[in-house]
Amino acid sequence: MNQSEGSTMNDIDKKLVVIRNDNRVGIMAHLVAGYPSMKKTESIAKTMANAGVDFLELQMPFSDPIADGPAIMNACSRSLAGGTKITEFMKSIKSISKNVSVPLIIMAYYNNVFKYGVDVFCSDAKYFGASGLIVPDMPIDEEQSEHFMGNAKKHGLYTIRVISPVSTHERLKKNAKGAEGFVYCTSRQGITGVHKELNNNIEGYLKRVRKEFKIPLAVGFGISRKEHVRTLAGHADVVVIGSAILNIINKHPRNEEKNVGRFIKSISGIKVH
Amino acid sequence: MKRHFGIFGGRYVPELLIPALEELENEYKLAKNDPRFKREFKYHLNSFAGRPTPLTLADNLTKKLGGAKIYLKNEGLNHTGAHKITHCIGHALMAKRMGKGRIIAETGAGQHGLASAAVAARFGLSCTVYMGETDIIRQRPNVFWMKSLGAEVVPVRNGNKTLKDAVNAAIRDWIENVDNSYYLLGSVVGPHPYPTMTRDFQSVVGKEARKQILKEEKKLPDIVTACIGGGSNAMGIFSGFINKDTVELVGVEAGGTDSTIGKHSSRITGGSIGVVEGYKSIFLQDKDGQLQKTHSIAAGLDYAGLGPEIAYLHSKNRIRIKKASDAEALNAFKMLSRYEGIFPALESAHAIAYAIKKAPRIGKDKIIIANISGRGDKDLFIIASAFKDKNFGSFLKDESERREYHE
Repeated sequence: MNQSEGSTMNDIDKKLVVIRNDNRVGIMAHLVAGYPSMKKTESIAKTMANAGVDFLELQMPFSDPIADGPAIMNACSRSLAGGTKITEFMKSIKSISKNVSVPLIIMAYYNNVFKYGVDVFCSDAKYFGASGLIVPDMPIDEEQSEHFMGNAKKHGLYTIRVISPVSTHERLKKNAKGAEGFVYCTSRQGITGVHKELNNNIEGYLKRVRKEFKIPLAVGFGISRKEHVRTLAGHADVVVIGSAILNIINKHPRNEEKNVGRFIKSISGIKVH
Repeated sequence: MKRHFGIFGGRYVPELLIPALEELENEYKLAKNDPRFKREFKYHLNSFAGRPTPLTLADNLTKKLGGAKIYLKNEGLNHTGAHKITHCIGHALMAKRMGKGRIIAETGAGQHGLASAAVAARFGLSCTVYMGETDIIRQRPNVFWMKSLGAEVVPVRNGNKTLKDAVNAAIRDWIENVDNSYYLLGSVVGPHPYPTMTRDFQSVVGKEARKQILKEEKKLPDIVTACIGGGSNAMGIFSGFINKDTVELVGVEAGGTDSTIGKHSSRITGGSIGVVEGYKSIFLQDKDGQLQKTHSIAAGLDYAGLGPEIAYLHSKNRIRIKKASDAEALNAFKMLSRYEGIFPALESAHAIAYAIKKAPRIGKDKIIIANISGRGDKDLFIIASAFKDKNFGSFLKDESERREYHE
């Protein structure tokens, strides 16, 4: 079947084109599904989409999230204590994707994907409306035994690679091969969480990444202020906001939507100088 | 070096940790074949840890049970009271070799933390130990000793507040401080190359036991048994006999109080394949892949994961896995104390419990070696309360009033 390029493009690519044409920094906003409740997750997601985020990253809570700092860790355990199951998570993907027009990216730890069944997980994720997957503890080296990236591809999902400032030239090259959508660069060597200052060497690091990756760069970990986004404008194509949103949710119970919406508006639309 | 054991093992970690794990693997490959490293390792094992540990014939217990001859590999006689010091020396030498000035460790029962703190003091490294809050409460003496050795003990208050959460916290610390810190993982678990390295370091236990039994009996044992938390003491002693099919290897998991979720730590009974904390193995988890609560009277066995090589050897029927309950472990503790004058750690008492059950069922010509992975001194408070020792209880009460613990 012959399809035009536009229709075979993943929604992530389409959005990246829009961001580039707008000459601005894109925003990916992160939420832990089921925190503070599934209903809230859905309404906050909707608010954020309306406030101008370009991508929504929805995390399936996991009992042992090794790459996450206190804010996300706490949200995961609260969500699980509230009874969040994968089936419910998938339903929320479906309901959010129906209500918003921004691409949805699922973040999950590999064990949740593995137990669900890699093929079924990818197929359901796609069916319910996700465009991509971020699975931080499923490195490319294990693909031969897991067929995770293969299955994602089969179902038309992008697997977003995550790299860090300590990634060697060799690792960057290895991850760049076949990378899709954008590459997620952690701003620092660390776990998720809000930091006052950005990594000083971030420009050099991002330059190094850009040499290997032919796709746009998203930068996450520790981004919580407008100044951070301004600093990154021109170096990163997309910024990822995670723990900062959770902190707002924690600070303003009952009024999460309004406050998160205001925050998103304050950081979106920043032009590339 | 092989990254997997069949389908198990691997290196399922965020990209952030891969350079550090590759560096560790490469350095270990060099160290393994470096005569100087081997010499130093042996030197510290002998002069600091107190190796070799004896293989003791438990003749009173054997007579009492009227079956197979029971030998005890007494790892409890190591400095700091358990087999853990053995791999800690190996890892500390690696940390020095790699120029890392700080070690990070996690601990369940406190034995690995204690051994880590001791080698850190000995080798001039700073040391941070993560320990679940539940474990801190039940293994208070070890916390005190770790601090006395200069280690910082960080309570872990999330998750189940036990060993798995301490592992997660240690990994997070390592992710943040990978440049200057060496992660001294306490068992044959975690991402490659840890299961292989720790097994290699611990294999000295198996080598000693094999030599000792051959000297004593002129033949190999019929059964070698060890308790299994993550599996470091088991892989240590098993590796000395693994190439001899006639030697049955039996790992003993914590049966806890019963087989319902949260009341035991038997991965083989209630677990399924998963990928957690960097490795693929058998985990106690729900159908979504969330780790379940575990229990054992022995903090060191109270863990939801199983060393990947053990999962593999079990799948190949080379290792059989049994379980012993809290009550059986306490009974084994009592018997070994009364008949042999040895206090096993509650962890090790699980292996003794299996030996006690098995010995009478097989002939007197058979030989069982049970690994006493550690000594029971650390379990004083748990055992005194389990045995409802009123005198000890009132002593504790009086003691806290009698002494001044505050500044």
